[in-house]
Formats: sequence, C-alpha cells, structure tokens
Amino acid sequence: MPMIKTENLSKSFGALDVLKNCNLSVEQGEVVVIIGPSGAGKSTFLRSLNHLETINHGKIWVEGKLLDDRVNSVNQVKLSHEESTAILLEMGMVFQRFNLFPHKTVLENVMLAPIHVRKYPADKAETIAKALIQKVGLSDKVDEYPSRLSGGQQQRVAIARALAMQPKIMLFDEPTSALDPELVGEVLNVMKELAAEGMTMVCVTHEMGFAKEVADRVIFMYNGEILEDATPAEIFTAPKHEKTQTFLKSILNA
Amino acid sequence: MDLIKEMISWLPSLMRGARITISLTLVSVAAGIILGLFLALGKISKNRVLNKICSGYIFFFRGTPLLMQLYFIYYSLPQINPALTINNRFMAAFIAFTLNSGAYSAEIIRSAIQSIDKGQREAAKALGMSYSQTMRLVIIPQSFRRLIPPLGNEYIMVLKDVSLVSIIALTDITKVTKSLSSTTASPWPYVPAMIIYLIITAVFQYVFNKLENKFSVYD
Ligand SMILES: Nc1ncnc2c1ncn2[C@@H]1O[C@H](COP(=O)(O)OP(=O)(O)OP(=O)(O)O)[C@@H](O)[C@H]1O
Ligand SMILES: [Mg+2]
Repeated sequence: MPMIKTENLSKSFGALDVLKNCNLSVEQGEVVVIIGPSGAGKSTFLRSLNHLETINHGKIWVEGKLLDDRVNSVNQVKLSHEESTAILLEMGMVFQRFNLFPHKTVLENVMLAPIHVRKYPADKAETIAKALIQKVGLSDKVDEYPSRLSGGQQQRVAIARALAMQPKIMLFDEPTSALDPELVGEVLNVMKELAAEGMTMVCVTHEMGFAKEVADRVIFMYNGEILEDATPAEIFTAPKHEKTQTFLKSILNA
Repeated sequence: MDLIKEMISWLPSLMRGARITISLTLVSVAAGIILGLFLALGKISKNRVLNKICSGYIFFFRGTPLLMQLYFIYYSLPQINPALTINNRFMAAFIAFTLNSGAYSAEIIRSAIQSIDKGQREAAKALGMSYSQTMRLVIIPQSFRRLIPPLGNEYIMVLKDVSLVSIIALTDITKVTKSLSSTTASPWPYVPAMIIYLIITAVFQYVFNKLENKFSVYD
C-alpha cells in the first residue's frame, strides 16, 4: 500500500491550470525528489497534498485512506473535521522560509503543536521536543528565539518541529533555497539522516547532489505535468524527455 | 504670586475632574479593545453574515460623530423607550465611548492581524492547528507588538475626546475648568487643566513605550 497516492490531481488558479492530471505514488520509506523549472507547480503539488491548497479535481490517498475525491472542487469524500485532520497529521511539512513562530523559543516552537493538537501532557511533549532538538544538533539553543539563529539552524528547528508531531511522511518545499551556500549542508545532513531511518519523504529541491545520493525516484515536473518519473540514475544519465534534458543542462551549468 | 496661590486652590476640583477623565478613558478603551478584538475577528472571518455585521458596525461608529452618538445614547434612547434610560451619566458615557472606541480598535487589531506573514498561518495549519488555535497561539500574540503603538494612540485620542462628556453634565477636567473660569471670571484655570492633560498623556506614552519594549524581546 502506498503512503501517498494521487490520481489525476488537477488544480487551477483562476484561468491558470497549475496542475494537470498528476499521478504519483510514494511507497513507505521511499524518498522522492521533485525537480522542475520555476512555476512548474512543484510547490502547489506538495501543498495540495496537505490541504494548504484545495485541488479542483482528482484523488488523494494517504496510507490507503481516501482523503480527497474532488470533482469541481467539491470533495465527494465526506470526512469529519477530526477524521481529515487525523489523516493530514500523517504529513509534516518544511517550508522554504522556515516559518518558525518568532515569539516562541526553539523549545516552545517544537512543543506547541504536540501540546495543543496531540494533547500531550507538557512533560511528555518536552521530552519528545528535547530529543528532536538534540537530533538536529541544537541542544545548546533550546531557549533561544528564532531570530538569534542562523538560517540553517532555523531550518533544522523547523524540521524538529514537524517531526514532533510524529508524522509518517515528510514534505519538504525547497528547504535549502533560502540558505547561504555554506549552511545548506547541515540541513541536507539532517534530511539524509531521516531518509536513512526510513522516513517517507517527498522533497522539492534543486540540490541535485542530494537527489543523486538519497532519492529513490526523481520526478520531473513541467508546466503542471509530471513528465518523468524515474530513478536518479535514469534521470541524470539518460533523461527521456527533451524538456528534462534542457532543464538538467540549465541547472548543471548554472 | 496670588495667581499661583489661586491655581493651587483650584487643584482639588481639577483633580476630581481628572479622576473622572482618567477612569472613563481607561475603562472605555479597555472594554473597547475587547469589543474590537471580536469585531476584528468577525470582519476577517469567512462567515458572510458575521462579516457584514461587523463591517457595518465599524462603518457606523467611525462614520458618525462621537458627540452625536453620546447625545443619542443619553438623551434619545429614553425617548424611544423609557426602558433604555441610563440614569448614571458615567455609565452612559462609558457605553458611548466603548462602542465608539471598539470600532477604532477593531480596525487597529484587524490590520495588525493581517500584517502577520501568511507563512505563520500555513505553518500552524501544517501542524494541525485549528483556526482558533492558530489565532490564539500564533497570530494574535505576534500582533501584540504591532498593536501597542496604535492602541497607545487610541488612549490619547480618547483621553481628549472624553472632554465631550460635559454635554451630559459629567464633571470631567474640561467641565470643571469651564465652571471655574466662569465663576472666577478668570482665564487662568485653563493653564493647570492643560498641564494635567499633558501629564496624563506623558504617563500613557511612558507606559506604552515600556509595553512595546516588553513585547519586543524576541527580535
Ligand atoms: N496563490 C496563487 N495564486 C495564483 N497563482 C498562483 C498561486 N500560487 C502559485 N501560483 C502560480 O502557479 C504556478 C505554479 O506555482 P508553484 O509555486 O507551484 O511553482 P513551483 O514549481 O513551486 O516554482 P518555484 O520553483 O518558483 O518555487 C505559477 O505560475 C504561479 O505563479
Ligand atoms: Mg515552489
């Protein structure tokens, strides 16, 4: 059973069709990297999975549970708010711009949702939070506010914050694009560690090194469509589609 | 010298007036902020009915003169229905100023809430927080710091607007000053009265600066 499956997922912003019949299936423990030019719909695809965007057509299953079956934006699946929240909580998300809560310390950022959403008692939430903060290597920063951290440190806190909800799937939307080059490595290392532990991951990234090393599959998106879905070896050595070739050339030469 | 002695002799009545002015300002703006929070949340909510009611309320109270609202509540409501008579003048003024200040606070709170980066809402949603948890735990606390300067300004505006209560014969500083000036046939009561206003304004400013610093610890 796939952890995530989409069928003919389509989305438009007004007259602009941003996603066109996207089909994707992600197995448990798989790391899928999505690449493609700016405006291809990569973020929109990721954001549709966890309902930050509402799709117009198509189906989404998470762990075999049908979450969306939309026709003209109306969901044919009637789930209660609790049921859909429970499914959505299986997915954690990391954003390009971190989006940490600036008025909360590192520890508070990580504990907030476990306490208020999972309803964990504070001591349990704190134990989980501290273990995750240690995992991302920031134990000495637990009481700092995000503004006192570097971009790389903020992104690692954001990863810990998402993991604290104990999701089964992690979605990353260009997690290193807002970082200075020298800080990219520390974030990728945390992601590699997660992948090695068997986390199911869907990552939009321009880090081709990461894709080659860690991805099980690479998806190439272009103009709202999934044009290619193959192993890194296939995509990087023998891309089938001419658009993929052009794209890879442009970023490898950049 | 005599003038200074005379001014000092006016102080007790001026201070009694100041008590009314200060307490009316403090309680009305405070109640107005609570009212304004609900109006702001209503105005940004997706519920069309709530949205219209709150927008209409804000439009009405910002679009008509405060003086007229005060007259209407104190003198006209009892004519419409004697059950709406408010005998206590302070209470009538409190109601008028709260209703009015609530409309202004609502706009201040709404724009502070809407100025918070959209990424904050998305992060909260991705963590499974409900709309009300997102507002309560993430958005509203972050808007505090942006609210403090304009709300401080609102206090100072209302402090001076409160002088309108003389029309319902409530003895605030302005009313006391006017009476002193006419009974003594002297222009000078206005000087200590204005100094009292300036002192109160300075205290408000001081407190709000302190508050702003307190809520800025995290950046
Ligand atoms: N909220 C929105 N309203 C209108 N159009 C939008 C909105 N969000 C995205 N779009 C448009 O949808 C298209 C796809 O955007 P998306 O952000 O998914 O692309 P992307 O592949 O993530 O690009 P990038 O690499 O620049 O992040 C773009 O043309 C974009 O302008
Ligand atoms: Mg994007």
